[in-house]
Amino acid sequence: MSEGLVGMQPKPDKGRFGRQNRYLDMAARGGLPFAILAVLVYGTLASPVFFTTGNFVNVLTSMSIVGIVVIAMTFVLVVGGLADLSVPATIACGAILSLALQPAIGTAPAFLVAVSVAGLTGLVNGLLIGYAGVNPIIVTLGIGTIVLGIVQAAVGGVIVYGTDPASAELVKGRIVGIPIVVIIFLVIAVIGDFVLSRTFWGRWTIATGGNYSAAEASAVPVRAVKAGAFVIVGVASGISGGLLGLTLQSARPLVGTGYEFSAITAVVVGGVSIMGGYGSVPRAIAGLAFVQLLTNVMVLQGIRTPIQGLALGALIAGAVAADIALRKRGVV
Amino acid sequence: MRYLAIGLRYRVGIILALTLVFSAIFVPGFVSVVTLSLGLDRGATMGLVAVGLTVLLISGQIDLSGGAVFAVSGIVAIMLQPTLGIGLAAVAGILAGTLAGAINGFLVVRLQINSLVATLASMLVFRSIAHWLTQSQPVSGIDMMFSLAISEVYFEVFTLRSVLFLIAVVLLHLWLTYTVAGRNVFAVGSNAAAAEASGIPSKKIFFWGFVFASTLAGIAGVLQSLSTNTGSPVFGADLTVSVIAAVVVGGTRIEGGRGSALGTLGGVLTIAALTAAMEFQSVPAYVQQVVSGSILILLVVLDRNVRSIPLRASRIGKLPIPTTSR
Repeated sequence: MSEGLVGMQPKPDKGRFGRQNRYLDMAARGGLPFAILAVLVYGTLASPVFFTTGNFVNVLTSMSIVGIVVIAMTFVLVVGGLADLSVPATIACGAILSLALQPAIGTAPAFLVAVSVAGLTGLVNGLLIGYAGVNPIIVTLGIGTIVLGIVQAAVGGVIVYGTDPASAELVKGRIVGIPIVVIIFLVIAVIGDFVLSRTFWGRWTIATGGNYSAAEASAVPVRAVKAGAFVIVGVASGISGGLLGLTLQSARPLVGTGYEFSAITAVVVGGVSIMGGYGSVPRAIAGLAFVQLLTNVMVLQGIRTPIQGLALGALIAGAVAADIALRKRGVV
Repeated sequence: MRYLAIGLRYRVGIILALTLVFSAIFVPGFVSVVTLSLGLDRGATMGLVAVGLTVLLISGQIDLSGGAVFAVSGIVAIMLQPTLGIGLAAVAGILAGTLAGAINGFLVVRLQINSLVATLASMLVFRSIAHWLTQSQPVSGIDMMFSLAISEVYFEVFTLRSVLFLIAVVLLHLWLTYTVAGRNVFAVGSNAAAAEASGIPSKKIFFWGFVFASTLAGIAGVLQSLSTNTGSPVFGADLTVSVIAAVVVGGTRIEGGRGSALGTLGGVLTIAALTAAMEFQSVPAYVQQVVSGSILILLVVLDRNVRSIPLRASRIGKLPIPTTSR
């Protein structure tokens, strides 16, 4: 909460730390745009296909599916809920159900049911975390395991294929050259940003994450706000999974593996504090853009997947450590 | 509620007994020495990791990277066999686990990253290293006979692994209950600031806790790889949930400050018995996941909401009890 305020006001104690603090301050604020720019320049120089419309559309498309989860995950981190590790399960739930139910009830209802079930998973997470006060990591790990098991049992542990090619065409379609998936992502991003920065719910979310007891004393419904963040993630990853399933026209139970880390990495690299109380959707999306562009450059350079994982793990640890170091010096 | 609270105190015994009774009734052929031996052997792999995690959880930290360390250590132990020989390669594998623990400790103690996040990140890194070392293919060791020798069953019940596990449990129990260092772990876990103020070096305890946990995960991984003569980057992928479940079933509090080695033994045996029983009935793996996940959630929720009631009524009075842990 206090960090959010500091960001808006001129800092009264700026002179106390002297010049060194100003540079740190600049690094903290301008670091990410600068890093994105650096990756863009490097990519352009290193690979002829990097700076092309086709490549950027590809990056945007792959960014959109995980981006929907990233927007939601921002709420969980800001509210002080650490992270939601049930994302792979809810994505699988969205993908598998929206394909498996197609023949029975049609594409759109199947999609809605899939998203609702994912949202329900988020609700269970939220109730256990917000109201029962259980550690979020343990809850989401456990519930994720359970839901993934149930989804697998429901389809017999096999791959599900789509039966409605028209739905795939719809999702893969473009409006004025922009893929539909990207448009959905942008719409959700705008809504997410609006909710977090302009509405009472967003203020409550930031207040709860900043100081739980103070927010509770100020009559913020802290439990509901905390639970709500996990419901948001459930719904968002349901949508994300549904879109993924429709795009691929097939869904494995493990289709969502790794998405939780990608989402957490993006949010944390974007400078959203893992301790809660500070962050915004544009920041998280900037983090996502940086990670995606970096991955894209690594892929174009032919760097193998494990090394990419290594780089991402190092990025998470580095970003969180930087966040803590900067907070200690009173910057950010 | 009072009965529930008393039941919770001895819940390991109750749960284990219930599991065994139900399995004995519903699973034909469950009651036999072979089952005991298999269950112990199966539990030992998970159990060694659980013993390490018990100490960490009591001190108030958590390690999610155990499964990945398990895989890396096994791979190192198998891949170095041609150059170092089986014995030295196994030692190298265990040292790889120790190193991984030192990295976790560095992230948490020095860089002050929340242990959940730090070990989440390091889990990703270690898993990547496992894939990178092996090109995502399983690797085999040089001597197949050695793997048979290491899985030999003594006195019809014990294997090398299960004996090691039982020794580790007994040593941990003695250490936690009879030494000053063991008591300090509990003090740090209940209230790190108060412990620090009383001169207990909490950072040192955290660091060595991580080293200890990862070393044990390393030993378990090396033993697993040696007994299957394979190192695989996907080993230990579902270990995290079942190990945390086992430790929590054993009564160790996830927020720190409470737990015991014997409880962990009970928890491991329970999970192992459950797994064995379900395998006897050829229940699919994903249903087993549902069961272990449900047990974990149920116990953690009960733990939070039942234990706090008698405490609140009797001694702490109206002081607010922190409802979240950071």
